[in-house]
Amino acid sequence: MHDNSNSVRVEVTISNRQGLHARPVMRFVDIAMKYDCEIRVHKNELTVDGKSPMEMMLLEAVQGTVLALEAIGDGATEALEELARLIDGKFGED
Amino acid sequence: MKLADFVVPGAILPNITSTDRNGVIRDLVNALADAGELAAEDVEVIAKAAIQRENQGSTGFGKGVAVPHVKHVKIPRIMAAIGRSAAGVDFAALDRSPVYTVVMLLSPPDQPEAHLQAMERIFSHLQRDQFRRFLRQAETVESVVELIREADEAPAG
Amino acid sequence: MPLRRGIGVSSGVVIGDALVLETEEARVPRRIVPRDQIDHEVSVSDRAFESARKEVAAEREQFAARAGTELADIFGFHERWLGDVKPRKEIASLIRSKHYSAAYAISVFMRKYRRRFQEMGSPFLQERARDIQDIERRLLHHVGGETRLELASLKDPIIIVAHDLTPSELVALEKTKRLLGFATDAGGTTSHTAIIAAGLGIPAVVGLENITSNVSSGDTLVIDGLHGVVVVNPDESQRSTYAAEAKHLEEVRDTLAELTELAAETRDGVRIALLGNIEFPLEIDDCINRGAEGIGLFRTEFLFLEADPLPGEEEQYRAYCDAVDAVAGRPLVIRTMDLGGDKCHRGGGWEVEKNPFLGLRSIRYSLQNLSMFRSQLRAILRASVHGDVRVMFPLISRIMELRQAKFVLSLVMEELEEEGFEFKSDIPVGVMVETPAAAICARELGRETDFMSIGTNDLIQYTLAVDRTNERVAQLYSPADPSIIRLIRRVVKDADRTGTSISLCGEMAGDPLFAILLVGMGLRTLSMAAGNIPRTKKIIRSVSLADAIRVRKRVMSFETEREVLNYLRDETRKVWDEI
Repeated sequence: MHDNSNSVRVEVTISNRQGLHARPVMRFVDIAMKYDCEIRVHKNELTVDGKSPMEMMLLEAVQGTVLALEAIGDGATEALEELARLIDGKFGED
Repeated sequence: MKLADFVVPGAILPNITSTDRNGVIRDLVNALADAGELAAEDVEVIAKAAIQRENQGSTGFGKGVAVPHVKHVKIPRIMAAIGRSAAGVDFAALDRSPVYTVVMLLSPPDQPEAHLQAMERIFSHLQRDQFRRFLRQAETVESVVELIREADEAPAG
Repeated sequence: MPLRRGIGVSSGVVIGDALVLETEEARVPRRIVPRDQIDHEVSVSDRAFESARKEVAAEREQFAARAGTELADIFGFHERWLGDVKPRKEIASLIRSKHYSAAYAISVFMRKYRRRFQEMGSPFLQERARDIQDIERRLLHHVGGETRLELASLKDPIIIVAHDLTPSELVALEKTKRLLGFATDAGGTTSHTAIIAAGLGIPAVVGLENITSNVSSGDTLVIDGLHGVVVVNPDESQRSTYAAEAKHLEEVRDTLAELTELAAETRDGVRIALLGNIEFPLEIDDCINRGAEGIGLFRTEFLFLEADPLPGEEEQYRAYCDAVDAVAGRPLVIRTMDLGGDKCHRGGGWEVEKNPFLGLRSIRYSLQNLSMFRSQLRAILRASVHGDVRVMFPLISRIMELRQAKFVLSLVMEELEEEGFEFKSDIPVGVMVETPAAAICARELGRETDFMSIGTNDLIQYTLAVDRTNERVAQLYSPADPSIIRLIRRVVKDADRTGTSISLCGEMAGDPLFAILLVGMGLRTLSMAAGNIPRTKKIIRSVSLADAIRVRKRVMSFETEREVLNYLRDETRKVWDEI
């Protein structure tokens, strides 16, 4: 995790069996919304808004997909820590 | 779910001496308390509940086996005790034969699914002639524990 | 003149005008609004999002209370999606830049969005396109768009042409009494819609691939469900040929309809109970209208296959209660879920098996998935107080499975009693005899059950070792094979010896060719698709028990399937020449 003018980035791997389907997206967005910072999720050249369930669904993040999470602004570090925990914990699934 | 997950080794009684159904049930509940799984002051109320359940319909499903069971708030987790009576006990079984092997399951009321799964496991194993015969012949705690281990390794279908 | 071949799923010929049902996304008309109305359309769209979101939130709460958090989570996702500002902004910009109406902008956006899911590689995510469709439907409802079925609130008799029809759409269309038949791009003989069409006796051809793009509303169509043919705008000679055929079939139907009120009784007074086979409670009315004396097979797996997430106890309880209400005091045999083989529900962690039909299916699956089995038995038992409900376990292959299933049933009864639910503690318990093992040990099974029902579809497949969906061996699959006939005879005799009631509920029961033989073999209860009841009754009423026994004796002496078939065809023609 590196801090760059209040922008933080971390790479995560989706490890739950069913990937980033509706329920995990919901959990993710719920956490993202708690923070004031902007949250972006990158997959290859695609970038989506981490607070938009509509866009998050388009990631097509199946099991094994590597995503880069980026947060900019207040609480960026804490937000990414909490989101990474959620993903590493397989969204409480499996 | 495996038998070893809920059978309490300290509550295996290979030589039960009580000669009546209620006595056997009390012995088994007591054994669970002695093994530290139940509070001593709850023994009577749990035994009574098990007896009451048994009065509503015998769990002696035949072939010398009975599976008394009870759900009660004073029971902290799913647990089973096993008793063996060489002389045989009258459980008012369906086939009217005496019961030589008693597997008793105790469950908290809030885990109906796990209770059902545990009962189904017990029933499936006891349906197998070989398991039933060996259990009836096992004279020591160790041999019962060993039998359960073997049964878990080759789950009954 | 163009003749299109598909899969006929329900026999019958019909000629009529086509009504092409547009797919959802094409349904909303492209509408451009004047500049001064743009702000209004944007606010219409925003309000639709907001009221749809509120509606979902209310449903989520309702479901959380009733069906637990799993289902509520799905609604939770819909709720968040509808609360998202991103889609609202994109739709607003479509309205502003292209002057689209709110409804059209929503449908354009949603179609594009949905397409991205359909293109995804992961089947699980592809499936989410269905969620998106749900959200879209809800939004369109809130902007005041009409639904597909309202569109089809029909005045004149028509033939529906659609990409696909859902079972509930089909039933709703049937209820309008204006549906002559239908043709769809999608589907096969085993699709739910096809099965229901066959049950309702609606001529239909499915699997036409692109009939929707080759037919316009108002075209004249011939649907020949028997041969799986659709003729678009038939010429004079085609028209008169099919019209004659349709007229003839109608006469036959009318003759049969006269029998509805009469009992299925042989000429010498032996009563045969004809029951219906159903997938959905909705089909019961139709069975009864055609003379069914009850339901001999309610295949509950359809409750599970269609559902995502799986139905909980309450949802099942409601379905069983609906069925109990519809049979109105007549017997209702509920078969516990027959999942696996070719019927796997979504999710559920199905492992790929080398031989699914010899694998973890049916009762085996239930006994290894006790939490699903438990909720189903609870729902059935709770529904049992409302009528003559019976429970039947499928694919029993050894007595142990029956005992295990009965043991689980007894534990579930105990549980319900503790919780203070009412149920029928002496609910009749039966098994399907559909494996050779069960057929051979029918006497033992009979001693421990109240009734048995021979399921010929599986019994034939397992006895003859033939997969009838495999074209290269399908011709070996036959109910007329002497081995099958002897096995059935044996089961009936063993059932009689143990005093267990016996019925037959496979497709063989509804095949007119076998009606006389089955009666001669001692069967007094036959359960079949509603559409087959009238003609089976007609045949039964035309023979005497002595005739039937003579036919059985002769059939039992044959060594080949061919002889059996030829003989049965001759004997059946003697009493009914429409065969």
